[in-house]
Amino acid sequence: MKLLKIMTLAATALGVLSTCALAQEKVTMWSRSTSEAFMPALIKAFNASHETQIELQIVPSSEMVQKYATAAAGGSAPDFVSLDLVYAPAFAKSGALEDLTDLAKSLPYFDQLSKAHVGTGTYDGRIYALPMSADASVLLWNKRLFKQAGLDPEKGPTNWSEIEEAAGKVNALGGDVHGFYFSGACGGCNAFTFMPLIWASGGDILVDDGKRATIDTPQMHEAINFYRNLVAKGLVPESAKTDSGKNFFGGFATDKIGLSPIGAFAIGNLVKNYPTVEFGVTFIPGKNGGKASFAGGDNFVVTAGRDNTKAAKEFLEFVYSIEGQTLLAKGGSLPTRADIAAEAIKSLDERYQIATEAMKIGRTPSSPVYNDIINSSTGPWKQMLNEAFFGDDARGSVAKAQAAMQSILDSSN
Amino acid sequence: MARSRTSTTHRLHEAIRYHGFGIAAALLFLAPLAWSVLVSFKPSIEARQPPLPPWPVGGFSVQSYENLAQYGAGIWTYTGNSLIVSAATVVASVVISLFAGYGFSRFQFPLKNALFVLIISTVMIPFQSILTPLFLILTKLGLQNTLTGIVLVYVTLQLPFSIFMMRNAFDAVPKEIEDAARVDGASVFAVLYRIMLPLVLPGVATVAIFAFLASWNEFLAALILLTDQNKYTLPVLMAAVRSGQFGTIDWGAVQSGVTLMMAPCLVIFLALQRYYIRGLTAGAVK
Amino acid sequence: MTSQPQIHNGVPIPRRNQRQRRKQLAGLLFVSPALILVLTFFVIPLGMAFWMSLHNWPLLGKPRFIWFNNYTRLAQDGQFWASMRFTVYYTLVVTVAIFAVAFPLALFAEKSRKLTKIYRTAFFLPVVVGFGSASLLWAWLLDVDSGLFSPAAQSLGFTAKRVNLLADFDTTFWSIIIMVVWKTAGFNMIILLTGLQGISTEVQEAARMDGASAWQRFRRVTLPLMRRTIALALILSVSGSMLAFDQFYIIADGGPQNSTVTAVYWIFSQSFVSFHLGYGSALSMVLLVILVFISVLQLRLLRNPEGM
Repeated sequence: MKLLKIMTLAATALGVLSTCALAQEKVTMWSRSTSEAFMPALIKAFNASHETQIELQIVPSSEMVQKYATAAAGGSAPDFVSLDLVYAPAFAKSGALEDLTDLAKSLPYFDQLSKAHVGTGTYDGRIYALPMSADASVLLWNKRLFKQAGLDPEKGPTNWSEIEEAAGKVNALGGDVHGFYFSGACGGCNAFTFMPLIWASGGDILVDDGKRATIDTPQMHEAINFYRNLVAKGLVPESAKTDSGKNFFGGFATDKIGLSPIGAFAIGNLVKNYPTVEFGVTFIPGKNGGKASFAGGDNFVVTAGRDNTKAAKEFLEFVYSIEGQTLLAKGGSLPTRADIAAEAIKSLDERYQIATEAMKIGRTPSSPVYNDIINSSTGPWKQMLNEAFFGDDARGSVAKAQAAMQSILDSSN
Repeated sequence: MARSRTSTTHRLHEAIRYHGFGIAAALLFLAPLAWSVLVSFKPSIEARQPPLPPWPVGGFSVQSYENLAQYGAGIWTYTGNSLIVSAATVVASVVISLFAGYGFSRFQFPLKNALFVLIISTVMIPFQSILTPLFLILTKLGLQNTLTGIVLVYVTLQLPFSIFMMRNAFDAVPKEIEDAARVDGASVFAVLYRIMLPLVLPGVATVAIFAFLASWNEFLAALILLTDQNKYTLPVLMAAVRSGQFGTIDWGAVQSGVTLMMAPCLVIFLALQRYYIRGLTAGAVK
Repeated sequence: MTSQPQIHNGVPIPRRNQRQRRKQLAGLLFVSPALILVLTFFVIPLGMAFWMSLHNWPLLGKPRFIWFNNYTRLAQDGQFWASMRFTVYYTLVVTVAIFAVAFPLALFAEKSRKLTKIYRTAFFLPVVVGFGSASLLWAWLLDVDSGLFSPAAQSLGFTAKRVNLLADFDTTFWSIIIMVVWKTAGFNMIILLTGLQGISTEVQEAARMDGASAWQRFRRVTLPLMRRTIALALILSVSGSMLAFDQFYIIADGGPQNSTVTAVYWIFSQSFVSFHLGYGSALSMVLLVILVFISVLQLRLLRNPEGM
């Protein structure tokens, strides 16, 4: 909280600074509230060392897409945006974004930038978005509860049956303690934490350049059964059924949850705000081992027609410098440039290393209708999972979602 | 003698029944409000525990308010925005509906009834459905992302109710009063301001209170029409607080925000209740 | 006397016309600010919304004119019709529930006894709290772990473990009904109260003298005389409920499994979550027609005594 206060102060100071600097080039930038821990510091450092001045504004995460889209339609959009990477294809398709292909290719370390970010930033062979910040999904376990339950607190599970076993033992501690947690009514969260189960087991979600949905697969059914089992055995709290992501992290942070697949952002947050929680970090495994991760975070985009690619290049070169990458990492974002990632996180909690590894193998489904099929609270992905995890007809729900998703994908072309 | 005693006990029983019901029902209606206020004074950790007992066990704490105060640009910015928007909406609604109510009540002009019905019938249209065109129009007028823009939208949304109210208020004033004044040679505005306004004050109070409550509490239009973080009103801020920072809901902060949003509504209502109910009554009878 | 027109050769002199025209102009001037606002911020946007409903109109990128394709698509939109059905169901239930609570409260609050005013104020207080704040408040009360009902039921021994009230359609639905009744009963009580107070005591007395029972008096005297008041309360309640959004959005997120997604929620979701502005506009147009139809129907029914 104190940090927040400092940041607010910093942001105000920045505002004052940048209004003084009328002669210099001034650009505006939006970033969502989940990046509040690192973006203000990064921008401050950039402004301190550059002629170009960036005025940063934090927008609540849940309103970001809507606000950017309405502002772009109304002509009042900011110059730069740090946009949830899954939305980059939709904005790229609509023509709202500046083509950054030449800029990207001119960076000598272009092939070291996060593949998942560049992937969602590429539309029709052109690059419209480049990595800004990163977050990868990992599995967290509570060491104290593991110890109490007679498990080895230093060893995380490496496959599904180990997860189930550990969750069962922790759950047996009783009281408010539960074995496992996930937000059961949240499409976005489960893309982040549930898709890796499928990938690590050899399945996929979108194939053929994002044109075909592969929902109704054996891997999907197995992963759903894995979760259904956890629910049926009572290892998951009641609240999970209706958690639309608002309490994604709440249970684990209060020392009541044995295991939970979460993002790397949780590491810094736990260390800072919940120092009493002892936890370990490992990869999200497949059914019989293996590992996978959802590469999340933000892409950097430039609003089309603003003629400020020079400023954009200046800013990106700073972001991808060792100084920029270190600043990001200190604030809780994973490095986005692989060749200097290790150096950027060397002073940080060692658990970040697992997350940085996860980032390297991270994947992100890319589609201009990502929101409609995955994130939307009324969309097929969320519907299917909620029904399949807690309802009676898992098979029917999956078949229905397969058809619904494919029809959305078809109608968007 | 005996008869009077039975009637006394009967009356007593009746009184017990009456007040028993009254107190029980009143408590039911007040409990949720009280509960929210109480939990907002619990320390953060306690606020996420089940709320029994409802009062803070470990002493009162303003921690939740401190947490709330640190969101975004600071709570006072948002409270200030909300106050500006509400005050402007109240003033504009009163002035515009006073004129329109007078016009519709006392004057004949072409299409009068059609225009009245047009204004009143907008109440049947979900304004959510016209938010996007509204956004585009405000942008054209250079009013998008300004508090002025949102005030104009709120005033428009309040118009059907306000004008209906004011026309009824004017209708209830006998024509003779006005005619007498007119004979004395007073101008139209002077009649409206000096003679009519005092007579329709209860209606004005109702319009003002409704305009205040609506604009103070409105969420969706503010969310969409204000893009600048520093211009948010309280409900938009509260949505962000409730959506949970880093995936944790701070229920204490949410309820302290609810308390902050409720307080002016309750105070204004309690202070102006008489005018409010009287005005509402005038509207309902007509 | 003063308004007697001056007659000259059997023709009103032009001065009267002029005065009348000036008065007409004054009337128009008085209503013009309101008209300008309604035109700019309601009628024109509404026309634009209809125009948009004939397009494939993404928020970004170019709109494409597609005639009535949105409307044919809408006919097959299962979620929209499910939402419509749910909205109508909700409206019926909540309106009955509100009247069932508000009418007794009005009869109770009509008496002028000590403390009656205080009770009345207490019943009314939730009305002035916004729907947004009230929903945030009840979202907390209904929360499975930090809320009131579920932990209380558990600690009082009614349930073995905590029950997530929002995980099941019926419990979600009735929780929200209770919340809305709590929030709006006071408003309807006041409106009904005005109707009750408008009935002269002589009429009631006369009916009593004729030997009418309390129920007969209520049925034959009170209700018919309150028709206008009831109509007002009913129209406000029905049109308000048909447009319900905040409570379902904030408390239930439309869940479980989209079962509490109302019509406006679906429009919101299509327009401002998926950004299908054209399609969202088409949905709005349909809802609009349905609402106007319901309002006209209600007015008809309540004006006609046989409809009571």
